[in-house]
Amino acid sequence: MSNPYIECLSLSKQYSRNNQRFSAIDDISLKINRNEAFLIKGRSGAGKSTLLNLMCGLVRPTGGKVFINGICITDLPNDSLSNVLLNDIGIIFQSFNLLPTYNIYENIEIALVPKKLNREMVQGIIISYLEQFDLKDKAHLLPSELSVGQQQKVAIIRTLVKEPSVIFADEPTGSVDEISASEILEHLINLKMHKQVTLVMASHGNIPDKIADRIIEIENGRIKK
Amino acid sequence: MKYLIKEILRHRWRTIAGISGYAIAVLFILLVVSVSMTSERDSVGILKSTGTHFIVYIPSSSSCCSPTDNDASDGSLTAEGGYTMMLNSDLIYSVREIPGVKDAAPYLLYKIFDRYYNCNISLGGIDTSSIAARNNVCASTNLIEGRYLSGNTDEVVAEESFAMAHKLSVGDTLKTYGGRLVVGGIVNSGIKPGKADLYAPIEHVRTILKDSLNCISTGFDMNIIVVEVSDARIQNRVISQLKEKMSYLSVSSYNCYQPASEVMSVIEGTSSALSIVIFLFLIIFSAKTQITSLMERIREIGILKSLGWSDSRLSRQILSISLIQSLMGASLGIIIGLGIINLLNHYQIRIFNSLEFYFQPDKLPLLLYLSLAGALMASIFPIIKLHRTKAGDMINNYF
Repeated sequence: MSNPYIECLSLSKQYSRNNQRFSAIDDISLKINRNEAFLIKGRSGAGKSTLLNLMCGLVRPTGGKVFINGICITDLPNDSLSNVLLNDIGIIFQSFNLLPTYNIYENIEIALVPKKLNREMVQGIIISYLEQFDLKDKAHLLPSELSVGQQQKVAIIRTLVKEPSVIFADEPTGSVDEISASEILEHLINLKMHKQVTLVMASHGNIPDKIADRIIEIENGRIKK
Repeated sequence: MKYLIKEILRHRWRTIAGISGYAIAVLFILLVVSVSMTSERDSVGILKSTGTHFIVYIPSSSSCCSPTDNDASDGSLTAEGGYTMMLNSDLIYSVREIPGVKDAAPYLLYKIFDRYYNCNISLGGIDTSSIAARNNVCASTNLIEGRYLSGNTDEVVAEESFAMAHKLSVGDTLKTYGGRLVVGGIVNSGIKPGKADLYAPIEHVRTILKDSLNCISTGFDMNIIVVEVSDARIQNRVISQLKEKMSYLSVSSYNCYQPASEVMSVIEGTSSALSIVIFLFLIIFSAKTQITSLMERIREIGILKSLGWSDSRLSRQILSISLIQSLMGASLGIIIGLGIINLLNHYQIRIFNSLEFYFQPDKLPLLLYLSLAGALMASIFPIIKLHRTKAGDMINNYF
């Protein structure tokens, strides 16, 4: 059996609020293989987003470790983690997290700035993705001038332009209509099929189980099944 | 660079607030420094030359340069009531070489017991062009009546106290020093170490001693060197060096340079302390601006971190924005500040009554450096915060 691409060992995360500590994630261990579509299900507040954030290194765990492609990202110094985030990891946020004062083109371009590619190459990559997602004529618009579905597409493009080997998607279809949702899922599955991308998705139920290779359900910060 | 400029431009009001902050702080520093420099120039300018003079001579146990004229018995070179020796003019060059000596000049002070007037009469021969002579002996500004040393060989000026004691007026003639001396003017030279009853140009006094009194001496150059120091604060050092170099000389000075020196140190210390306090305020103010800016951008910075922007890149951006804002603000503050100083001077608005507001242009780079240093220090805290906070916590505002 090949080594897992992502491995979480006894992962836990506690938060303090009003002098009280509560566990968002409690001792979770799991393994995800390369090119696997992994779905984390659970109700709101179950800990799906926290687990996803811990797995991609956005949040420091209270305990445990996360390995991606054999590298323990939990112990990485900041700049090395930035390198992993730049070259290997793509994150699609539930709330898109587009920069409101940058236009669509610039919102995508900022993902490529640290890669130091030449201007023509960056332009070529962005235009090709905008065409693929039918957004080429919207490049100069601000995010607020797009529909919610279109904004989510921009967020996905911003992730895809980096060509990551693993994509963490937090409720990627949570805020969009059904048509947009199926379009987005189709793009994600295509990525898995044709670009060998590992997909880790979190959803409270609006992603069909059939698109996942493996599913876990989270409740109160623990794996239910 | 594109995103740096875009970042500066896209939050226009925040940028304007940041630049204005630096501009106000620099303007404030510039005005306070200007007021402080004006005050310092006025007060230090006065204090600097307070008590910066002294006289040197070689004391003697017996009379030197005695007259052969029977009417002027007991004549001698004198200084501060005692006998002195005759000195050679070359000694002046050695004194002038001591660092801090602004001027050194010859002074010939002679005293006789005059039988006609039945009293001692001292006659000082001064170099009228010398600032050291003016401050140690007598100056034209001390004139209260008549005229000041016109150049006539028989003309002298009399000290007011001497003139009053002998009921002398301008134009009166004194029969003394082996001849006749006309009182051309009356002076009140105040308290000075080389004070005499009568004053005449040094060449005339030499002639009087040589030809009128027929004094016996190998030379008639001088018996006192009057010295002027450039700054009251270095007077002690100059005197020490002089004593070290020419230990046979006696030095006599009034100690008013000491309080002047202390007051100057206090004024300069106050100006420096004030500048440091304002600089600290600049740092605190700009740090606050930078932290506010970071807090406003915290979510965006978290997003950029999640996309792979390194902490170093983001730190450079924060630092560059801060430096650019400080440079623009400082330039604006300097322009406005200099404009205000010019306006105040143009309309002759004064706070120290005498001099116009003043600012040394060579202090401008210092203001820019201070502003940039403030920006640099102000960025430290946001950069530390950036390094210590994970992207997810920034996006979700858990920090």
